[in-house]
Amino acid sequence: MQTRLKRVVMAAVAAGTLLLTAIPIAGQAPSPAGLSPSSAGVSRTEDGKPNLNGIWQAFNTANWDILAHEAQAGPRPALMGAWGAQPGGIGIVEGNELPYRPEALEIKKQKLANRMVVKVANDPSRYDTGDPELQCYRPGVPRANYMPFPFQIFQNREQIMIVYEYKWSMRSIYMDSKSEAPVDSWMGWSNGRWEGDTLVVDVKGFNGHTWFDRAGNFHSDALHVIERWTPSGPNHLLYEATIDDPKVFTRPWKMSFPVYRRLEPNLQLIEFNCVPFVEEMMYDPVGLYRPGPRKAK
Amino acid sequence: MHKHVLVPSVAVTLVTMLMFLGAPAGLQGQTPSREAVEEAARKASPHSADAAMEYWKAEIAKRLAEATARVYDPAKPAVSNPPRTPWGAPDLRGYYLTAMYTPLERPEKVAKPLYTTEEAVAAFRFATTSDAGVDPATVHYDWKEFGMDAWQSPVRPNLRTGLITDPANGRIPPLTPEAQKRRADAAAQRRQRDPQTGVQIFGNLYTRCVLGGGAAPLIDGGQPGSDSAAGAGGVTTEAQILQTPDHVVIVQQRNTDVRIIPLDGRPRLPQTVRQWYGNSRGRWEGNTLVVETTNFSDPSPATNFQGSTDALQLVERFTIVDANTLRYEYTVTDPKTWTRPWSVEAPLPRIDPPLYEFACHEQNYGLINLVMGAQIRATEGILDPRDPRAASQTAPR
Repeated sequence: MQTRLKRVVMAAVAAGTLLLTAIPIAGQAPSPAGLSPSSAGVSRTEDGKPNLNGIWQAFNTANWDILAHEAQAGPRPALMGAWGAQPGGIGIVEGNELPYRPEALEIKKQKLANRMVVKVANDPSRYDTGDPELQCYRPGVPRANYMPFPFQIFQNREQIMIVYEYKWSMRSIYMDSKSEAPVDSWMGWSNGRWEGDTLVVDVKGFNGHTWFDRAGNFHSDALHVIERWTPSGPNHLLYEATIDDPKVFTRPWKMSFPVYRRLEPNLQLIEFNCVPFVEEMMYDPVGLYRPGPRKAK
Repeated sequence: MHKHVLVPSVAVTLVTMLMFLGAPAGLQGQTPSREAVEEAARKASPHSADAAMEYWKAEIAKRLAEATARVYDPAKPAVSNPPRTPWGAPDLRGYYLTAMYTPLERPEKVAKPLYTTEEAVAAFRFATTSDAGVDPATVHYDWKEFGMDAWQSPVRPNLRTGLITDPANGRIPPLTPEAQKRRADAAAQRRQRDPQTGVQIFGNLYTRCVLGGGAAPLIDGGQPGSDSAAGAGGVTTEAQILQTPDHVVIVQQRNTDVRIIPLDGRPRLPQTVRQWYGNSRGRWEGNTLVVETTNFSDPSPATNFQGSTDALQLVERFTIVDANTLRYEYTVTDPKTWTRPWSVEAPLPRIDPPLYEFACHEQNYGLINLVMGAQIRATEGILDPRDPRAASQTAPR
């Protein structure tokens, strides 16, 4: 009984908090429709937390551009036609504005212009151009959460693991831990805690090589992401992330979108090991892919 | 002898580069032999063999003492009441070492399946000391410098002389005629030196960062000796097991490869859907987790586990023996490759968390040099110096 009462109180507190934060401020995008936090029908783990185990997916076009964007022909229309075209979308950024520092905005434009310029080198200059996704690099956080691939959550009391179908990349969220990132990484270092029914994850320790989208929106190694995963019914989560990166942005900003539970019976992630898919693109221009004369430099 | 020589990594790297990239342009046509290059590397070392070994002696002695106190006895019964998860399953969760010095196959000169404790310790001591040595001419990284060599981990001596428990002779069963032909064809193809080689010819999927452990069981046995798989593997032969009520996840440190194993009795994927790590289904048999895997992909058997094909069926068993040990058993069946199934048993010692992100492909700087080196070597008609056949190769044409 006590636990149940506690749950009700927590849910009420959580609801109250969200009500407060949901009061719109000028320029702020409305919260995704139909996503009021609700503990109704949310299954629970043995310790009373929302049970996030399962396969989830965001359905939006933010991987093309996290800001609102119109539909466009893809990068190689002559080859890819409608397959490669970019669908439009309303974006996931609150206020639809990214507070870039002036010099960072220039870099963003360059990254967009060079998003398909892949230069393989045996030093970190290989990260200077080209969307990391194009090259089958790990997507980082938050991007992994809104790529057009499902991901699977494995929830324990002490640790929550997320395996993303894209690149088969994964991250561990260490619960109630103050652990420091031992080393910079692509997926960052995640410490989590429960605030009522909301899973709050603090992610730091990024290496600065990942992007937010295919439009060249980027961050530095100073990126600090605070994610909030809040159930809004048995099969929906509201995902919110606060992005702070003083090297690139003048102030923190927020993104949010719903994440849907995939309900197909017997659904499983199917390996998307993209390394073999990108070897020709990456190594052929330097004469290292297929048998053939070495190209002059 | 040059067995126990440590050299600074920079020297090693330089020498390695020379080996791969061939001699400077002015020396083209008179490329030094492999022996000469290696001897030069040894001479370049500022350390004498004795001094270098002396430096590690105390640590080796300490590690050996620790290891001899925990010799693995396969006859030891598993605990009947293993720790349980909050939902009541045997709790396998944790981090495990998959490196070992015990070879997969029983060595031919060892006639029995089990050592005495003294013999097991002696074999382990030999393996450890060999592994602690470094030949500056062939090693690329000196892992022990960073405490990452296998003998610096909780690696354990084993009463087993080899890991294979079935067949009774401890050896991989004979190949089928089909597999013999496949292997002969592949060997002949490898002897064709194509100067126009590329990334795709690299049979080693780890070099390309496609897979870390390969489409294979968690352990493949040790090959002790300097520059050994067990030695170099010490850094990456770690795995994490995470459980939920209806899934088990196995993460390998190598390439941060992940296997997702449903326990809910769902049907298998259609045969048409192949995956690098196959398609696994798990279940509990008493306190043992049993995982059956099929649907392995088959780009070329040369890159598969022990030359197996897409007909491979892998059955793995995980049992908690005691607080520090998981017993890992597997049986491989592949009628296209072996005349009968064969089975392995090995201990996985618990280790401290965590695993780290191993972004292999993202920073695969080495692949560029490897392919360029292979192209140059192929032009010169010289095999990769690490290829055992290169030892008998005379000076280039």
